[in-house]
Amino acid sequence: MSANRRHPACDDGVVHFRPRRKRAQRELTSLTLNLAPMVDVVFLLLIFFISTTTFERAEGLLAAQLPKQGSFADSIALPISPIIVHLEQTGPGPTDYSMRIENFVDHPTTFSELSKFLKGVQGNPGFDDETPVVLKTAFQVKWDHVVGCWNAAVAAGCKHVSFGVE
Amino acid sequence: MASKKRYHPRPSLTFNMAPMIDVVFLLIIFFVLVSTFASAERIAMELPRPDHSQAINVKLTDRVIINVQLVSPDSPETSGVAYSLGPNRPQSLAVISERLMQHKRVVSDLKVVIRADRRVQYGDVREVMEIVAEHGIQMMNIVAYVGDAGPNS
Repeated sequence: MSANRRHPACDDGVVHFRPRRKRAQRELTSLTLNLAPMVDVVFLLLIFFISTTTFERAEGLLAAQLPKQGSFADSIALPISPIIVHLEQTGPGPTDYSMRIENFVDHPTTFSELSKFLKGVQGNPGFDDETPVVLKTAFQVKWDHVVGCWNAAVAAGCKHVSFGVE
Repeated sequence: MASKKRYHPRPSLTFNMAPMIDVVFLLIIFFVLVSTFASAERIAMELPRPDHSQAINVKLTDRVIINVQLVSPDSPETSGVAYSLGPNRPQSLAVISERLMQHKRVVSDLKVVIRADRRVQYGDVREVMEIVAEHGIQMMNIVAYVGDAGPNS
């Protein structure tokens, strides 16, 4: 065997033993995953969501029953004596409204009080959660107050809440 | 004597992207789960925010949305009111009534959802209610914010 045909790794004249497994590892091509396109797409999605998202409060529905046919004003047929709540605007402010309940001495001043009042009335003889509650509202009242009043009646468990004419 | 050469590979200067990808994926998953695409029918306005709101988040089928909004929201006291059916531009109540009648012919149990700005007067919404009632539509729904009242209430 010629002395010129040495192994490249044996420059120092010493033959180092390299196991077969290690030799095979060096010859393998690297199997790394190219992440660049995925990162591109992910960033694109992230930028899209960040730029388009606006956080909003969730909306919900309060169901309301309307009269069946004809004029809105004269079509409400009331089976039993209802609880009639009068709502009026007393000023431009958010709490400038007043409530009056027909045939009752107590007049709640806030919608929370109205809700408690209606709950209390349901325990009286002749009243229950089936008793109609009619909301008679002046035209100038802010819609926020109308919905607040309606919400208070629904929160009190009243099953028949309707709009009336002031 | 030949010098002893040893092969020392240079340390690779690659950027470790794994933590960054973790965070980015976390953000993507958050946005995908949280996002709901807003409907064009829901015109931006300040909705009523009652205390302890009983409003429930339900998806109605066969419904039309009537928006009642302020023409100039910056001056609500002097502003007029604009009505619109769904995503359309503001229309007169007569046109809305006509459209409502057409919808009612196609869908017998049509439901109406009224989205009114919290600062409009009851009288303005009342006109819509009267139109809805005239067409024999019984199911009306009022839109309000879900949950407890906000800080501005």
